[in-house]
Amino acid sequence: MATVITAEGLTKRFGSLVAVDGLDLEVHEGEVFGFLGPNGAGKTTTLRLLCALIAPTSGTAEIAGYRVGRDDERIRAMVGILTEQPGLYERLTATENLRFYAALYGLPGTLANEQVERFLRMLGLWDRRDAAVATFSRGMKQKMAIARAALHEPPVMFLDEPTTGLDPDAAKTVRAFITALRAEGRTVFLCTHNLDEADRLCDRIAFFRRSVIRIDTPDHLRQELYGRTTELRLLAPASAAELERLRTIEGVRAVEQRNGSLSVTSDDPARTNARVVRALVEGGADIAFVTERKVPLEEVYLRIVEGTELE
Amino acid sequence: MTARSLQLSRPDRMTIMRTICVREWREALGNRLLVGMTLLPPVVILFAGIGAVATAAIYPPSERDVQAIYAAAPAVVGLDPKEAVQGLIATYFLILFMLIPTVVPLTVAIYSVIGEKTARTLEPLLATPTRVGELLLAKSVASTVPAVIVTWLAYGIYLGAVAWLGSRAAVNAVTAPRWILAIIILVPLLTLLSVNLGILISTRVNDVRVAQQIGGLVVVPVVGLGIAQVSGRVVLNNESFVQTAVILIVLDAVVFLMARIAFQRENILVRWR
Repeated sequence: MATVITAEGLTKRFGSLVAVDGLDLEVHEGEVFGFLGPNGAGKTTTLRLLCALIAPTSGTAEIAGYRVGRDDERIRAMVGILTEQPGLYERLTATENLRFYAALYGLPGTLANEQVERFLRMLGLWDRRDAAVATFSRGMKQKMAIARAALHEPPVMFLDEPTTGLDPDAAKTVRAFITALRAEGRTVFLCTHNLDEADRLCDRIAFFRRSVIRIDTPDHLRQELYGRTTELRLLAPASAAELERLRTIEGVRAVEQRNGSLSVTSDDPARTNARVVRALVEGGADIAFVTERKVPLEEVYLRIVEGTELE
Repeated sequence: MTARSLQLSRPDRMTIMRTICVREWREALGNRLLVGMTLLPPVVILFAGIGAVATAAIYPPSERDVQAIYAAAPAVVGLDPKEAVQGLIATYFLILFMLIPTVVPLTVAIYSVIGEKTARTLEPLLATPTRVGELLLAKSVASTVPAVIVTWLAYGIYLGAVAWLGSRAAVNAVTAPRWILAIIILVPLLTLLSVNLGILISTRVNDVRVAQQIGGLVVVPVVGLGIAQVSGRVVLNNESFVQTAVILIVLDAVVFLMARIAFQRENILVRWR
């Protein structure tokens, strides 16, 4: 898979403040890449560096083969960015706003009109196309800003907190839009605080605090830190002896009983679950449900970013 | 799967300028306060000027007024007192017309930058392939053109009104070649100065009223020049017009350069608050 975003030792200083410190990164074509970190970690600065909006103090970055600092105009022409604030012209209508940007990106008249209509329809704003943006809700403005970022069909899109402050319906539309972008083969660089969203949308995620702490797939990170956990709901609590017997099964890393549920963590549940269930049934337990428990990405995030695991 | 991509080329500078200007004007026209603040000064000056010339045509000046006028403006000595008064008033209001290109575009330019700062519209704009110089130039032009047109229009109406109501001396005063040249040449130069000063100030402050108060200082030299001429201390002859034009060209270049330095992509995104 081709690499479309590369950063090597990318650093940005503002006076004595180091906002981004030696960032190394590779993002592949067609993936949704989550960029997660606490407030003030330097996510927005990184985004601005990669979009050629600000110049790095040191290090290099390339977007689809174009070098930041050398090919800035080309980079800006071929990326789409959703900024933290929608930043729309409130007195202009939805159509006027998008046509303005279409002209700046060089879309000729007919194509501009087609693209404006396409994205307004995709994001459910076509019926309000002639209304001033000032009359739009927060969610509608955010969708407008996303339409603006995608208008010139950039191969790489940078989205900064795309669903923050949106109601569930609008957030769902935005997530569906991101999924559609991936299906079209576009690369999406997603800065978000919404870990559930990152879990659902991202192929890989980077935990970031001034520089990258970890990059991996959400499932691999989970498995590495927590193993895979199976939850078994029993009609009656298991005895201490039964729990001890489960712990001796090969491949089982941990067994916990809480509120009538047994949590069994193992490296390969496909192999160990059958043995666990058999052992429980042989011991006389009645099993009501067996489900896989996914550790929330939030827990993974907190362990990694707060440094409790990897320090 | 490789994403569909549009083969787009960067629009030419004129298209970018036109696009930004049209957007600025659309937004400005939607702002009633801005439209009101743009039209109020020329309307007030125009009506005051026409009213003053008409009043002087109806009511003859007193002997004391005539002596004061002769003392202040030796050029009108020997003219019929009524003619002299009208000529002086017509000239005085021409100087006030020079205030229009200092006041009107200042407000427009300030709104143009501070409006974008407060609405956070600059970042997406700067994320397009548009160059910062093009953006600054487009903003300058978008603020300059309406102010120049409004001033020229007001001058045209004033000219017509004076020709209809005023004396020969008043008509001669307002159609003097150096005044016509001043309106054609000095007005755009003053406008540009005011616009770029407005942009420069707007890069440092976030409050439109504060920016207007600071920018309002640009009217002081014009008012001073007007007072000096009315009191007879300065005679605006051909030579002084050329000098004024040269000074304005230099000031325009310096202030534009300063605005260009302040108007850097990174400064705008990181330092402007």
